[in-house]
Amino acid sequence: MSRIAWSLGLWMALAGCATSTGDVSPMKAPLPAPAQLPQDGKLRIIAFGAHPDDCELREGGAAVKWAALGHHVKFVSCTNGDIGHWNMAGGPLAMRRAAEVKQTSKLLGISHEVLDIHDGELMVTMENRRTICRLIREWKADLVISHRPNDYHPDHRYVGVLVMDAAYMVTVPFFCPDTPYLTKNPVFLFSEDAFQRPNPFTPDIAVAIDDVIEKKLAAVEALHSQFFEGGANGHAGLVPDPNDAEKVAARKKVVRENFSKRFAATATKHRAALEAYYGKDEAAKVGFAEAFEICEYGRRPAPDEIRKLFPFYTK
Amino acid sequence: MASEKLRVIVFGAHPDDCEYVAAGTGAKWAAKGHAVKFVALTNGDVGHFAMAGGPLARRRAKELAACGKILGLTSVSLDNHDGELMPTLENRKTVVRLIRDWRADIVISHRPNDYHPDHRYTGVLVQDAAYMVTVPFFCSDTPHLAANPLFLYCDDKFQKPAPFSPDIAVAIDDVVEKKLDCFEALESQFYEGGCNATADLVPSDAAGKAARRKQVRDRMRGEFARGERFRKALEKRYGKKAAKVEYAEAFEVCEYGRQPSAEELDKLFPL
Amino acid sequence: MAFRLSPLALLLLVSCATPSSAPSRGGATEGKPAPVARMDGEQDGKLRIIAFGAHPDDCEWAEGGVGAKWAALGHHVKFVSCTNGDIGHWGMAGGPLAKRRAAEIKKCGEILGTEALALDIHDGELMVTMENRRTICRLIREWKADLVISHRPNDYHPDHRYVGVLVMDAAYMVTVPFFCPDTPHLTKNPVFLFSEDEFRRPNPFTPDIAVSVDDVIEKKLAAMEALESQFYEGGCNGGPHLVPDPKDPAAVAARKKQVRGEFEEYFSGPTTRHRGALGKYYGAEAAGKVRFAEAFEICEYGRRPTPEEILKLFPFFPAK
Repeated sequence: MSRIAWSLGLWMALAGCATSTGDVSPMKAPLPAPAQLPQDGKLRIIAFGAHPDDCELREGGAAVKWAALGHHVKFVSCTNGDIGHWNMAGGPLAMRRAAEVKQTSKLLGISHEVLDIHDGELMVTMENRRTICRLIREWKADLVISHRPNDYHPDHRYVGVLVMDAAYMVTVPFFCPDTPYLTKNPVFLFSEDAFQRPNPFTPDIAVAIDDVIEKKLAAVEALHSQFFEGGANGHAGLVPDPNDAEKVAARKKVVRENFSKRFAATATKHRAALEAYYGKDEAAKVGFAEAFEICEYGRRPAPDEIRKLFPFYTK
Repeated sequence: MASEKLRVIVFGAHPDDCEYVAAGTGAKWAAKGHAVKFVALTNGDVGHFAMAGGPLARRRAKELAACGKILGLTSVSLDNHDGELMPTLENRKTVVRLIRDWRADIVISHRPNDYHPDHRYTGVLVQDAAYMVTVPFFCSDTPHLAANPLFLYCDDKFQKPAPFSPDIAVAIDDVVEKKLDCFEALESQFYEGGCNATADLVPSDAAGKAARRKQVRDRMRGEFARGERFRKALEKRYGKKAAKVEYAEAFEVCEYGRQPSAEELDKLFPL
Repeated sequence: MAFRLSPLALLLLVSCATPSSAPSRGGATEGKPAPVARMDGEQDGKLRIIAFGAHPDDCEWAEGGVGAKWAALGHHVKFVSCTNGDIGHWGMAGGPLAKRRAAEIKKCGEILGTEALALDIHDGELMVTMENRRTICRLIREWKADLVISHRPNDYHPDHRYVGVLVMDAAYMVTVPFFCPDTPHLTKNPVFLFSEDEFRRPNPFTPDIAVSVDDVIEKKLAAMEALESQFYEGGCNGGPHLVPDPKDPAAVAARKKQVRGEFEEYFSGPTTRHRGALGKYYGAEAAGKVRFAEAFEICEYGRRPTPEEILKLFPFFPAK
């Protein structure tokens, strides 16, 4: 680059850094702006799952309940799920699964996004940390939900790690300075899992989802590639002839029953946690539930704040 | 299941780790006709006080071959530098392919808590391969496994964040001499002392050398005498006979693989 | 707009190490690793302690007290910040902030009697890489450390967690001659300790060692005052509302007093929490009188010190 061009460039850069007074001292530079929070009095919840189905399975019920009260919920799938089927993969599967979560989001009444990262290949990188940080900030989240970092699936574990790595950092103005920072660290929660090592899941919060179980099961049904067709571990034998209405209905019924059982198991397992929020009598009647653990790296909600974030309890 | 031929693969960090944690159990499986493979994810090329690089990697590979012969199994190492194992996607795919190519029923590795970063990251990599081995379009060049194998951790003494839990213990008194023969064959590591030794560890005279060999064998004998440490788990398996067991190896079921019942687990392991 | 300094130049700039501790590379002769490091206090019989924090304030905060105590007895203490702290302020960032924070920790070093170094890694971007592992390994070796202190890998800040992981990844490896063969290896794995944190998952901090810092609390509080960008000005979550007009001495004094008060309370936390551990080392009666303390957990991946060795490494406790 010619000397003149270089000098000119430097001069222009200096001018660009100057305030109107021509002062370029760092303390006079414009401060990064905090995120402007909407004033509609509604909660803003963002959940991160590894694949286009994880959020739906783990917090789909709570999502419907929040949405029904006008709160803003977003589900983010951190991979595109493109190896999550026994017969289809790559772009076509990614597109198919994107369509599935578009459908489930309509059913649940929420927003969603699918990141274009290959299924099975989610790694803990600075780039991914920034992506998650920006998503949390852009959503202006009060509450963030994700996986614990203990889980059979590496993608689940690394979503857990990445979201923990974004906790607190979302409040640091000069981290990803292109995206307005949050003035309050959101509350971070982990969704339920069954793993015991190195430490088991703790049900700090449990939510009855009986009133919305039909919508959750409808979402499960809409995730056709994963459950009806069996996903990555499925096989042709699982999938009936689409023209055989009886067999199709039977298969749908099997899927529905499996998931009903799974969602009911949470209620049984975490009855004590339900009692803490619903009282013994009401908790005893709960058929289906979702449970969450408070992550130590987010803001620690006081008991009354938990009730504000989960405006579902009668007690 | 016990009457069928089992296929077992063990992942250690360095060319001696698999032998250290599973030589006894491996030999017993092999003696019963099961297919056992030991894989060191690094080539051990910084693991000596005087030799390093390619020459050491080759030497250690030869030591593994000798161990394999003694135990009746295959023992190999991968060409990754010792001390530099990272939990990358590429390494994860390598581990997935190895498990699949071996058509493993059982996979054994380190827990991700251990003093050595290579041990920890071997553990992480094997965890990262669990379940993924069953996903057809992950590493679609290698046929997937129809069932997630049983994944196990070998034992260690670390307490944080959680201690090792011996779900199954194997008495290896009947094969301990073979295990000790391996440690004699792992000359660079034990007789010569590995990376923390000095040249004066090995005497120059024949009598001195013999004494050194005996010293190493006795020391390793002591280290493998874990009957007391795993007495409870041994009693579960062997009943009254457990009281007499001197040498043992133990394993913990990893939550990310297949979850067998206690009976099934018991039947999979040689007595 | 400043010139972009090369990373090496910036590292040298922010390094507050005295010239005598500059690394001597190129000691390896063909076929042999570099000569074995002299261990355990070289010829002066003094301890050599190195602490790794994530940001230019973490070491001062977590082990500034014991650092000053060691220094007062002539032991050699080095505090390394693994990032340059360059996003740790609400109004400044980048190089200017990194330079400012480097100056702050240099000042802390003067107050405490310790050495200070900040690595040229961006704040908020510390990753677990081979390169970073090697850097830490070399720093531990070049310091000929008897004792290494760092964060546990459970902590709200990713930089803290990854310092913990990186230092654990260097444990033991510092003794392997052909790992980073350009830097003489240590013949003994140092004792590795974790500084205190409040996190419980997956497992809580264990106070294996607790030390009264009453005799050096003034120095520690002075260091916190010197870390002006972080505490007086509020760091990255602060704002202009925190900072009084520098021309108003009463307001400045009030703000300084407020910060000091907050730290007095904070540094008395370990005392209350770890009265038992203090009792183990000081006796119950003396432990009851301690006001300010620091606590440490023994890392399983370092050398496990015997009780006698703990007393040697922490020559602060009364003879029993």
